[in-house]
Amino acid sequence: MSTMTATSAQTGTGPSGMVGRSTGDRVILALTIATAVVMMAPLVWVVALSLKDNKELMASMNAVFHAPYTLQNYLNILTTSSVFRWILNSLIVSGGVTLGTLVLCSLAGYGFARLNFPFRNVLFVVVLIGLAIPEQAVLIARHQLFSWLKLHNTYPGLILPWLSAPFGVFLMTQYFRAIPKELDEAALLDNASRFKIFWKVLLPLTVPAQATLGIFTFLSVWNDYFWPLISGTKKEMYTLTVGIASTQTNFAQSEGLGFLMSQAVFASAPILILYLFFQKYIVTAVSGAAVR
Amino acid sequence: MTAQIEIDSVTKRYGAMTVLENLSLSVKANEFMVFLGPSGCGKSTLLRMIAGLESVDEGTISINGERIDTLPPGQRGIAMVFQSYALYPHMTVADNMAFGLKNIDVPKGVIDARLAEAARMLEIGHLMERKPGQLSGGQRQRVAIGRAIVKEPKAFLFDEPLSNLDAALRVRTRVELAQLRNRVKSTMIFVTHDQIEAMTLADRVVVMNNRQIEQIGTPMDIYLRPASRFVATFVGSPTMNFLPVTLSESRGFLVATLPNGAQLTTTIRADGVTAAEQTLGIRAEAVRRTEPGAVNTMPGRVEVLERLGDRTLLYVRLKDGSMIVAEDIGMSRVAIGDEIALVLDGTRTHLFDAEGRARHAEEIGHG
Amino acid sequence: MANLTLAGTSPAERPVPSRRQVQNVNAPLWRNAIFVAPYLVFFVLLLIVPLFWGMWMSLHKADAFSTGRFVGLANYVRLFNDRIFLQAIGNTFYFVLLTVPALALIGLLLALALNRQTRTAAVLRTIFFASSVLSVTIVTLIWRIVFVPGFGLLSTVYGWFGATAPAFLSDPTLVMIAIAIATIWWCVGLPMMLFLSALQQIPGDIYEAAALDNAGRWRTFRSITFPSIKRTFVLVVVIQIVLQFQLFGQARLMTNGGPNNVSTPLVLYIYDAAFKRWDLGLGAAASEVLFALILVAAMIQYLVSRRKGEDA
Repeated sequence: MSTMTATSAQTGTGPSGMVGRSTGDRVILALTIATAVVMMAPLVWVVALSLKDNKELMASMNAVFHAPYTLQNYLNILTTSSVFRWILNSLIVSGGVTLGTLVLCSLAGYGFARLNFPFRNVLFVVVLIGLAIPEQAVLIARHQLFSWLKLHNTYPGLILPWLSAPFGVFLMTQYFRAIPKELDEAALLDNASRFKIFWKVLLPLTVPAQATLGIFTFLSVWNDYFWPLISGTKKEMYTLTVGIASTQTNFAQSEGLGFLMSQAVFASAPILILYLFFQKYIVTAVSGAAVR
Repeated sequence: MTAQIEIDSVTKRYGAMTVLENLSLSVKANEFMVFLGPSGCGKSTLLRMIAGLESVDEGTISINGERIDTLPPGQRGIAMVFQSYALYPHMTVADNMAFGLKNIDVPKGVIDARLAEAARMLEIGHLMERKPGQLSGGQRQRVAIGRAIVKEPKAFLFDEPLSNLDAALRVRTRVELAQLRNRVKSTMIFVTHDQIEAMTLADRVVVMNNRQIEQIGTPMDIYLRPASRFVATFVGSPTMNFLPVTLSESRGFLVATLPNGAQLTTTIRADGVTAAEQTLGIRAEAVRRTEPGAVNTMPGRVEVLERLGDRTLLYVRLKDGSMIVAEDIGMSRVAIGDEIALVLDGTRTHLFDAEGRARHAEEIGHG
Repeated sequence: MANLTLAGTSPAERPVPSRRQVQNVNAPLWRNAIFVAPYLVFFVLLLIVPLFWGMWMSLHKADAFSTGRFVGLANYVRLFNDRIFLQAIGNTFYFVLLTVPALALIGLLLALALNRQTRTAAVLRTIFFASSVLSVTIVTLIWRIVFVPGFGLLSTVYGWFGATAPAFLSDPTLVMIAIAIATIWWCVGLPMMLFLSALQQIPGDIYEAAALDNAGRWRTFRSITFPSIKRTFVLVVVIQIVLQFQLFGQARLMTNGGPNNVSTPLVLYIYDAAFKRWDLGLGAAASEVLFALILVAAMIQYLVSRRKGEDA
């Protein structure tokens, strides 16, 4: 512990990273670690519960703190849970939205940033204003529209509303604008069509923005609860969020507490693993999207 | 593959602002033409209009008699080297050079042959598989030229291609460009604000200022017979000296009375000169030091010395408070603070009227 | 060979277009709009049309099957005479008050503590942001299993000391606090990261200068760090206000608005009105009220981020 604080005092960049502050540093570090432990406690609790046999838990909750632990709850998921179906639904919906968003927003970003057409600036401002429209202001009408189009409880019904989100257009337009215009001009002189310039010359340069937008979109859709709740109401069309929510409505009476927890752990594991591997990109994407 | 370019009464506006006004110009086949002017004079706009990157509001641009200002950029048969080079960052050097050829379905064998030839000529063969990010500034510059060469265009356009290079590399590349120019027979238009580039590279220079052409001529024309006071100021270093003079006539030529009363007999023809008060221009190399007290000289005090090795520039404060630059030998013994006299060479003078139009001294002795 | 070079260059064969048809690369042409058209179709059909349709619906007695008859502002009158709606607005503001200052403050403290390049700090940052990638249903599941009486974590810990845990999910004075705790746990990663990136923008030599001037920890924070991140602080607060104003999942899943509507936020009210009672007109009217409130916050955000641009 003391060695850790010593290194932090040497390499830190902040105000507390200076020489002669190690006592204060140590206190701060200890407090932060304590906070992290409190932060982790609920997660650990859930994981611990998922590893316990239900009968034992019913007897006393203190059983959580000692062996035996079992993986039986997880094995049960394989046979009895709908969680795979939900994950598949979520993958299809999130993947579909991400793909659609990247295509639409890249095209639109290039269009707004590079091509001139009548009313371009007015249209762009209108799209920007669209950023301020909260989902709730359009949900009810959208729901009715989708009822008439018989799109509820279909994948398109779950995917399409997201494709109207203006954020990606804004992001891609900014990114295309930052690419030197001489590249377009060189390509024009190289006899490339507008689409070829977009596809061959500029799009490969927008990969970082595509990653940001893709991650942010995927995560937002994966975690969305409201629209799938009102649109995908049939059990086989549940997304993961709605599915998990449906299991917990009255778990106070549930006899399968450990099973429930294992299902939750199983459901959140993929996204947490992705987070551990792509933390840098995810953090950049999410905070970039927040500040816009 | 070469072309004669005809620019006829071209006007360009951005909204209410006119950036080029009724401008005409003809570039001969195989000519190396330099557009020279201060930033904002419209020279780059004119180049981009030839390339098709800017529209032409009035007038026409033709190549070999065929009108091109109505064609999209890619179909004008023109290649351009950009100031920033504009290489495609994600493509290799070879792909950068081949891109334009693939777009017009040139057969692969032809592309390979042209790339190989350009690589040999520019000595970039070992760079062909690299990306632009892995190249130095000078290498990028060659690749940009290579990308233009392989297209075998009717004309090359260069938009200040040397301005992103450091001073030493710029001089070297300038020499290489001059050599390249002898090997690649094509019409070339080169835009710069650097008079040395213009003087060293050009067959002819177009000096532009304030929406218009000030003068078109060979580099020596521009230097020796600047058409206007602007050209006289812009071309040549140090800049030309200007003195207010009162004129009189003697045997058909003008005699100028200098500010200190000294008389300078010039070889500028007097016929047609009406205003008696005009501005005399004279370059530093035509102003020499002499012993104080001589007749018809201008006395002054040396304030600044610039020793350039082969010659020395003397910045001399005259009695009326104005400054004049004179040239002395490299080993000049003049020191700061010295009181000296200057003698002006009347056969190398220029006269500028109130509108800035010029008349030049004639070299009588040499016919 | 010559005809291979720049194949397009045979202008003599093509009719010379008139000035009007000139291929100007910068001219506003309708066909250039083809790149933005696909998105605009979605934008108009799924955002703009529903937005105005929603406003239209809020003026009608609409149900699940038809838009019904025009009732003017009757839905709004009903709303503001509805005790539960007013309570929902109150609840929402209360929730924002509970969460936003806490999120900003905790986020800032964590950022200050973790703004260093050590492995420990990196691991801790990973932990504190991890909850942000979870979905609301997982978060509420976790926190219900903490708060739930009997087999919850809290009950178990209290049990060790022979005490009974407060009834976080049923005591009317505690439910909002329970939801707020879960929300802070879920959302604290973003403010922390925003503050961290702001802190990293501060040039290090300022701190060296302050150290030479013998400035203490608090003094350094007050006169150097905080002024440099003041704008980020305002931005974080506004972002969180907009975000927390839309509280829905936590309230629905942890307490379902109860007991007796003390934890019903605005969005849950809209959901209940529109999708449980199918009183779409009323739901739409409530949505417009929420829209107006969020628009004010978004306007502030726009002004703040614009000022940022001007300063830079």
